[in-house]
Amino acid sequence: MDTSVKQEKVSILAITDHVVMPLSAVLNAIRVVKKEGAEQTDPVIITQASSLSSLPVEPSSTDIVLSFSRSPEFPGDQLFKEYSRVLKPGGEIVLQQTLQSATGELTTSSIERKLLVAGFVDIHEVKIATTVSSEVVQSFGLNLILLIEKIMAKRPSWKVGSSFSIKKAPKVLPTLQFDDDSDLIDEDSLLSEEDFKKPKLPPVGDCEVGSTRKACKNCSCGRAEAEEKVPKLGSTVDLNNFKSACNSCGLGDAFRCGTCPFKGLPPFEGRPPFKVGEKVTLGGDFLADDI
Amino acid sequence: TNSSVSMEAKPKLLVLYASQTGNSVDAAERLCREAERRGCPATVMSTHDYEARCLASEENVIFVVSTTGQGEPPDSMKAFWLYLRRRHLSHQWLRGVQYAVFGLGDSRYPQFNFVAKKLDKRLSDLGAEPIAERGLGNEQHSSGYESVLDPWMFSLWNTLYQKNLKFFPNGPLLSISDKKLIDQPKIEITFYDAVGGHSEYSNTTDLKCFEMEINRARSMPPGKFSHYKNSPDCFLQMIVNCPLTRAGCGKDVCHFEFEALSSSIKYEVGDVLEILPGQSPAAIDRFIKRCCLNPESYITVTPCNMEEYLLLFLWVQVQPREAQIGSCVNSSMVAVKLKAFVELTMDVASASPSRYFFEVMSFFASSEKEKEELQRFASPEGRDDLFKFNQRERRTVLEILEHYTSVQMPFEWLVQLVPPLKTRAYSISSSLLAFPNQVHLTVSIASWTTPSKTQRTGLCSGWLAGLDPRERVLIPAWFRKGSLPPPQPSLPLILIGPGTGCASFHGYVEERALQRSYSLTAPVLFFFGCQNEENDYLYRDFWFSHSQKDGVLSEEMGGGFYVAFSRDQQQKVYVQHKMQEQSTKILDLLSKGAAVYVAGSSKNMPSDVLSAFEEIVCNEAGIPMEDAVKWLRELGKAGKYHVEAWS
Repeated sequence: MDTSVKQEKVSILAITDHVVMPLSAVLNAIRVVKKEGAEQTDPVIITQASSLSSLPVEPSSTDIVLSFSRSPEFPGDQLFKEYSRVLKPGGEIVLQQTLQSATGELTTSSIERKLLVAGFVDIHEVKIATTVSSEVVQSFGLNLILLIEKIMAKRPSWKVGSSFSIKKAPKVLPTLQFDDDSDLIDEDSLLSEEDFKKPKLPPVGDCEVGSTRKACKNCSCGRAEAEEKVPKLGSTVDLNNFKSACNSCGLGDAFRCGTCPFKGLPPFEGRPPFKVGEKVTLGGDFLADDI
Repeated sequence: TNSSVSMEAKPKLLVLYASQTGNSVDAAERLCREAERRGCPATVMSTHDYEARCLASEENVIFVVSTTGQGEPPDSMKAFWLYLRRRHLSHQWLRGVQYAVFGLGDSRYPQFNFVAKKLDKRLSDLGAEPIAERGLGNEQHSSGYESVLDPWMFSLWNTLYQKNLKFFPNGPLLSISDKKLIDQPKIEITFYDAVGGHSEYSNTTDLKCFEMEINRARSMPPGKFSHYKNSPDCFLQMIVNCPLTRAGCGKDVCHFEFEALSSSIKYEVGDVLEILPGQSPAAIDRFIKRCCLNPESYITVTPCNMEEYLLLFLWVQVQPREAQIGSCVNSSMVAVKLKAFVELTMDVASASPSRYFFEVMSFFASSEKEKEELQRFASPEGRDDLFKFNQRERRTVLEILEHYTSVQMPFEWLVQLVPPLKTRAYSISSSLLAFPNQVHLTVSIASWTTPSKTQRTGLCSGWLAGLDPRERVLIPAWFRKGSLPPPQPSLPLILIGPGTGCASFHGYVEERALQRSYSLTAPVLFFFGCQNEENDYLYRDFWFSHSQKDGVLSEEMGGGFYVAFSRDQQQKVYVQHKMQEQSTKILDLLSKGAAVYVAGSSKNMPSDVLSAFEEIVCNEAGIPMEDAVKWLRELGKAGKYHVEAWS
C-alpha cells in the first residue's frame, strides 16, 4: 500500500432507538455511503436513543452518522440538531426507517423536511435491494414485510461560526421593449458638448442683494435670508417730511430713483411741480455757471 | 421657386413661432413688424398651423422657438418637430432655404434653449443655409430675452440687406425721427347699441347663456385662442374648499372639490384640468371706465385684412380641421356684450403686456412727458428699465393705464394688445372610480412680493381660493391629457412627487385601492417631500392610512411610503436622499418591470431624481454608470419613465 497518501481515520456514529442492533446492519449502511476506508473504522454505536436529548460526542467530529429508526418519532427535532452538531462540515448522514408500508411515503417526506429544517443539504432517497435476510427481520422481532427507506443527506460544508462575505448576485435588469423609432433620428445627437454649458451672463451685479433682482420663492442659496437683512427701503424715512432732490417722486414708479422711499406707491394727486403738458425749459447758455 | 426668372419677385419673410406662454408670439410679431416697416413683406405663423413639408419651398424663414419643461418643445411644435426628425429626409431637402433661429429660454434650467439648438443643427443638416448664428434669448438677462433679440435682429437685417438689396428698399435702418405710428390695427370692431337677437337669452338657462357667451367671445379675436377652447368641456361648481397647509406658515396649498353640471365628465387619473379664471368685477369696471367704453354695447370683432386672414387659414385647411373657418367666420357675426367680451377674453388685472403695447401707448399719449417716457421704454435704451418696471413688477394693464392717464387707446388696439385671458392647468388629484362626476385639485396659491414690495397673488389660484361653495359660481373647464398616463393595475409603480407633485399620485393611490377589490394590483413605492412636517405635509392622513397593513402603499404589500422633510433638520433632506435609502427596494421593483413617474414644481428636482436613479441602478445592479444611464434612457423610450414638471 502506498503510504504517501495519508488515510485519515473515518469516524462513524451509529445510533438507533432499537434496544439491540447487529453490527452487520451498521456495516451495510456504511457500504451505502461507499466511503473509502469506511470498513477499517471503528463505529461508535448508541442504542435506546429515543430518550436521549444530547449526544456524548464532540462537535464537528464525526464523518458519518447512521441513524436507524423503528418508530416514526425517532429521531426527534432535538436529535436532528445534535446530528448536525456532531457532524464534520461535509459529513454525511444516513437514515434508515423500518416501517410499515402503508405509512412509508408520509414518513419519508417528513424526515426530509426535518433534515431540511436542521440545515442539511443534498437530501435524497436511496433505494436498496429489497432482499432482507429473514434473520435480520426475525432478529428485529417483526413479522411484517418491511420497507426499508434510506435517506441520505449532507451537512453543509461550513462549520458553525464560520463566515464569509456574500457576493452580491448581480440583479438582472429587464430588457426593455420600445419602438426604436428607427424612422426618426436621435434628437440628442443634435447637441454638441458646447450646448450643455451654462451661458455666461453679463455681470450686472446680478447677485447684489437689495437690487431689483429678487430671491426665488424656493430659494435654497441663502439669498432670501440675506434679503431679509437688507433694511427695507423707506422704513426709516418720514414720508411727510421728505425733501425730494429730483422732484420726480410724485410722477409715479417709472420716474422714481432706485432708492426713492415712495417706490410702490401711486403717483401723487396734482403731481407737483409739473402740470401735465407743461414744458420744461433749460437755461439758454450752458457755458455760464449757475453757481 | 422663382430665383432666376427674369421678373425677380420681391423677397419675403416667413416667421414661424413655437410658443408656450406667449413670449415667442410677441417676439415673432415684433420681427414681422420690424421687417414690414422696412419694406419687406412678412408673414407670421405658429408651427402648429404650418405644414412642415412645405418648408422646402420657402425662401427665407425665421424661427422663434421657446424651450419649455425639461428641454422640450412647446406643445404647438411637437408635430412639426416630429416631421423634421424623419430619417428619410435627405441632406439636400432644404437646399435653397435661408433660415435663422432665435430661441427663448431660461439659463436657470440645465437644458437651456435645447429646442433652438437642436432645431438650428437639424435645419443645417437638412441643407438649409443659416443667415445668422442662432440667437439664444435668456430670461435671466437684465431685460429678458429682448436683451439678445434687439442686437440679433438688427444684425439680421444688415445681413439680409447685404445678401439682397431688394429686402429693404430704404436700407436696413429705420428713420427714428418718424414719430407717427406706422402700423395699423389688425382687427376691426363693430359696435351695436342694442341687438334685437339677444332676446333669446331670456328663454335659456344661465348655463346655456354662459356657454354661448364664452363660445362667441373666445372665437372672435382671430388666432388668439386655440379653437378647441371655445366651448368648455364642462362647467363645474366648487363643493369643497379647504386648506392643506398650516395657516401662516408661508406655504398656502388648498384642496378643491368640484362637481360637474349638465354633462357627465370623463377623465383618467393623471389627467389635467384647465380652468378659465374669473376676473375681479371691480377691476373690469375700472378698466371699462378708464378706457371710456360702454359696457352695455354689443360688438363683433373681424380681421381687417380679410384676404390675408383667409390666406393664413387656407394654410390651416391643409390639415383636416374644416370646422375652423366656419366657426371663425360664423361666430364673429353674432355680437357679444362688450363687458362679457372683456371679462372672458382680455386679461386686464394680471398679465403684463408686451413692449409693443408701450410703443402703441406712446402714440396715443397726449401728455408730452408721458409720450417721451413711453417712447423711451419702447426703445433699445429704455429696455432694461421697462423690464424692471413691467415684467419684474408684473404690472397689469389696468395699473399701467391708470398710471399713464393721458393715454386714450382705441378699443381695437386694446383688443389686439391686451394679453389674452388664458386658462390655467392643474393636475387632477382624484379618481372617477372613487368620486363619480367630481374633480379634485391640489392647488398652491401663488403669492409673491415684487421688488417694489407690492404683494401679488396668482389670478386663477387666488380666484379659486376665494370662492365660496355656497355661491355656486360657474367654472368653465376643459380636460386634457398630461404627461402621466394612467397605469394598469398590474404595473408596479415608483412615484416621486414632492409638494403639489403628489396631486396626480393621490388619484393613482385612490384608484388602485379600489381596483384591489376586483383585480390583482402591483405594489406602489411613493416618495413624497415637503418643507416641514408641521406645515405643509399635504394629505398626511391619506398617505398614512394607505401605508398601513394591507394598504396600497404598505411594505407588507411590497410597496412603501417615504417622506423627506427638507427643513426639519440642519442639513437638507430631499426625495432623492430617501430614494438612496431604499435603493434595494427600488432596484427590486425596477427588475420587476416597474414604471417611474416623477411630478412636481421645481427646476432641478427632475434631474436630481434622474441622477439618483442612475446611481441606484449602477450600484445595486453592479453595472457601469454609462450602462445605467443608457438603461434609464431606454426606460423612457419604452414609455416607463414619465416626468410632469412645472415652474
